[in-house]
Amino acid sequence: MTSYGLKQRFSSVVVYAFLGVMAFLSIFPFLWMVIGATNTTSDIIKGKMSFGESLLLNATTFFTQVNAPLIFWNSAKITIIATVLTLLISSLAGYGFEIFASRFREKLYTLMLLTLMIPFAALMIPLFMLMGKLGLINTHIAVVLPTVASAFIIFYFRQSTKAFPHELRDAARVDGLKEWQIFFLIYMPVMRSTYAAAFIIVFMTVWNSYLWPLVVLQSNDTKTITLVISSLGSAYYPDYGAVMIGTVLATIPTLFVFFAMQRQFVEGMLGSVK
Amino acid sequence: MNRKTAALAFAGASLFAITAAQAAEITVWCWDPNFNVAIMKEAGEIYAKTHPDFKLNVVDFAKVDLEQKLQTGLASGVADGMPDIVLIEDYGAQKYLQSFPDSFAPLSDKVDYSGFAPYKVALATLDDKVYSMPFDSGVTGFYYRKDLLSQAGFQPADLQDLTWDKYIEIAKVVEEKTGKKMLAYDPNDAGLTRIIMQSAGGWYFDKDGNLSIEGNTALKAALEVIQKIQTSKIFRPAAGWADWVGAFTGGEVASVTTGVWITGTVKSQPEQSGNWGIAPIPKLEIEGATHYSNLGGSSWYVLSASAAKDEAIDFLNEIYAKDVDFYQKILVDRGAVGSLLAAREGEAYKSSDPFFGGEPIWQTFSDWLSKVPSVNYGTFTNEVDSVVAAHQPELANGTSVDDVIKAIDEQAQTLVQ
Repeated sequence: MTSYGLKQRFSSVVVYAFLGVMAFLSIFPFLWMVIGATNTTSDIIKGKMSFGESLLLNATTFFTQVNAPLIFWNSAKITIIATVLTLLISSLAGYGFEIFASRFREKLYTLMLLTLMIPFAALMIPLFMLMGKLGLINTHIAVVLPTVASAFIIFYFRQSTKAFPHELRDAARVDGLKEWQIFFLIYMPVMRSTYAAAFIIVFMTVWNSYLWPLVVLQSNDTKTITLVISSLGSAYYPDYGAVMIGTVLATIPTLFVFFAMQRQFVEGMLGSVK
Repeated sequence: MNRKTAALAFAGASLFAITAAQAAEITVWCWDPNFNVAIMKEAGEIYAKTHPDFKLNVVDFAKVDLEQKLQTGLASGVADGMPDIVLIEDYGAQKYLQSFPDSFAPLSDKVDYSGFAPYKVALATLDDKVYSMPFDSGVTGFYYRKDLLSQAGFQPADLQDLTWDKYIEIAKVVEEKTGKKMLAYDPNDAGLTRIIMQSAGGWYFDKDGNLSIEGNTALKAALEVIQKIQTSKIFRPAAGWADWVGAFTGGEVASVTTGVWITGTVKSQPEQSGNWGIAPIPKLEIEGATHYSNLGGSSWYVLSASAAKDEAIDFLNEIYAKDVDFYQKILVDRGAVGSLLAAREGEAYKSSDPFFGGEPIWQTFSDWLSKVPSVNYGTFTNEVDSVVAAHQPELANGTSVDDVIKAIDEQAQTLVQ
């Protein structure tokens, strides 16, 4: 018994040591970013790891060089609209794939999943030509459109829908609800933790999205925060202090969304593997 | 359900502001908000004084981002939303000119190129036509700490005509006397190799743009120097750009050999004022070797699909090819050294800098600028460069230069085909 207890204690030490290292690895970049926002560029380069006094200076540089309200509005607008549309369209598709049987369902579904394997870089030029033909270059619609039917989110909703009780649907039918009413009035409220998890995933992906907005947005007043930060960091001698202010500000919304919906996120993730 | 979705989508769409490009405006893409962007805006303001209708819209992206966008735009053939003027790094110039023929407007009919540093003109020439408005130069210098070198027994006069062998000897003395390494060096970066190679008129490509690795005397001599630097341990290892900059701004090493654009960074440490000097970079001992080279730099290009092409060319020509005062202003405000040789006649270029002990460093750099050997940067400079960088560390463990060159050649051959 004693040797068993020792063994157990030893293994929990190993586990906690491992978790500790992992936690440090995830927290360190964040800490470094926050500290960097208070230091001058040359201190950041020297690797100074304590808080400095340049927060105000860095913030002034950032806000004079960047039209922050407009840029954040662009990012917020794109992210919120894309997230709402993605959740609506992709959850509908996921629900449909699971609930309604048809002869081609599985083939279609497999085909859709295959698109996950095409790297975005390969789609970029055709997509850009398409947007050019539609006259949507340099518009925010062009950023939103390609994300709204997300194969991954459809997959995620289909998997989660497997846990949606058929009895509920049958009962709703008996009560005379139409199909669209079942979806909006029964399915959506029941699956809210799934929606919450998907919301976080889509929100973060769109908020942080980089390559496609970069390619399709052409002017200073349509740019998103990720593009602006990237441009600030590209210089013969970049002002890393100002860059850090930008990254801190850009991180806040995702942090906020995550903490606000953390509980539902975990529930949603658990739900999908039931 | 469909109606609701459609209603939501419509509500979303109405929030979008559609920004269409305006025809009367010149749009410029470039990187670096404090340098290229600020300088281009300055140029626009000067031009607007004599051309009241002129409107300039400078859009800034990171360099890699801009290249990504330019590549996508040109490859897809969608002219929509493309700029009128774009900044391209000199190393990539031939790649764009050759990969997208007719996408850039030749400027040789409009611009007098005789006033520019010849190497800047040569790198943007294709089939006897010149496509660029030469902009900032990366003319190189050997920046050294006067205090440390004099402590080791070397005065500025001793440093004006060095060879790389002499440089390494000095480095050993400096370390012995001061405890500081001579330079910070990142074995995974081939910048120094390129500097040394171009100083002898060589490049990864020959004059006709063909890959030239084996049998390239300048490259071989450059790698021999790199091997000596690595094996004689005269350097403080640097991991990446920031660490490299930190080494010389932080006073850990006695010198730095790089492009003139580093001047602002060197000067960012006011407490070191008066302690720095510049000298020509050391020279190889092969035929064609000089004390002058280049690292980086970029030039402006006009897209031939531009609706305002003529205006864009006139703008570039009036300011960048003629306005000496403009070059004084960007030198003082931004530390930018342009490629127009006449700029040296201005006040700012003649002034002396107390940070460098009162030396007229801009006159000096301007002299060197006119003497940088012209080379053909070819179409795959960045690709071959990464191969060279990957093989450089092998030089430290005694692999012979010939073997390393052979390995580089094999790998580069497959890349450029």
